[in-house]
Amino acid sequence: MSFRVLIVDDSAVMRAFIRRIIVLSGMEGAEFLEASDGREALNLLSKQWVDVVLTDINMPSMDGEELLRCLEADDVLKSVPVVVVSTDSTASRIRQMLSLGARGYVKKPFLPETLREELERVLGGAYAGY
Amino acid sequence: MPDIEWDEMLAAATGEVLETMFFTDVYGPAPAGASAGEPRVAASLGFEGTPSGALTLSVSEPAVRALASNFLGSEEDDPLPPAQLGSVVCELANMICGSLLSRVKVEEHFRLTSPELLPADACPPGPPSQSLAMGEAEADGTIDIWLALEPHAG
Repeated sequence: MSFRVLIVDDSAVMRAFIRRIIVLSGMEGAEFLEASDGREALNLLSKQWVDVVLTDINMPSMDGEELLRCLEADDVLKSVPVVVVSTDSTASRIRQMLSLGARGYVKKPFLPETLREELERVLGGAYAGY
Repeated sequence: MPDIEWDEMLAAATGEVLETMFFTDVYGPAPAGASAGEPRVAASLGFEGTPSGALTLSVSEPAVRALASNFLGSEEDDPLPPAQLGSVVCELANMICGSLLSRVKVEEHFRLTSPELLPADACPPGPPSQSLAMGEAEADGTIDIWLALEPHAG
């Protein structure tokens, strides 16, 4: 089964790393879209459906917090699960992002299996058991 | 918090980032003069919170190439361009800083600035807070890290 992931991070090398880790973790069928900030992500999401969004928080132009607010305000896009992938792992930040609608939170640095488990969780049972 | 606790947390944060994201072990403290004369890539970022401060790191070029290769999965005979090496060092600085601050038991969150590349000779004066040898031997390269904390107001 295939699934489409939108990776939102202003660092091209981090986007490449996340792509690589998803492939290495054995999740077959992943298709990737990339955006360097929230604004670019919204533009992509207006044209293409994705199954999950992985987003950083600190980005220029539109950060991950604002991206979550925009997605939650959209009747269609609010159903797309968002997982925050960030170096900021203070409890207050995690609570804030979850309260804005994030379905999961992965702290950098992370183990490949941590990202995979989080993806499987938010994507649901159809994607479990690879 | 005593400086020694910060130094211990910095070493632990660096080890965690290198092992989980760069698939590289810390060999141990770098011996004096290790990597002397080798080109280095340096990056720095600031953080705001309680406390505020800055983290600067400088990585010897052989270590940068090994780290970037591990991070991006590139082949050793397919050398990465300098800009990509710089981006990898910026990410490394960002993650070490985030890992360090996550060990500080405070409720409020920190705000990190975007890491920026520095000329290698623009690193802070004085000895680094941590100087570590990476990989399986001292010759695999070194990483120097400076942590500067601003005096806590109040």
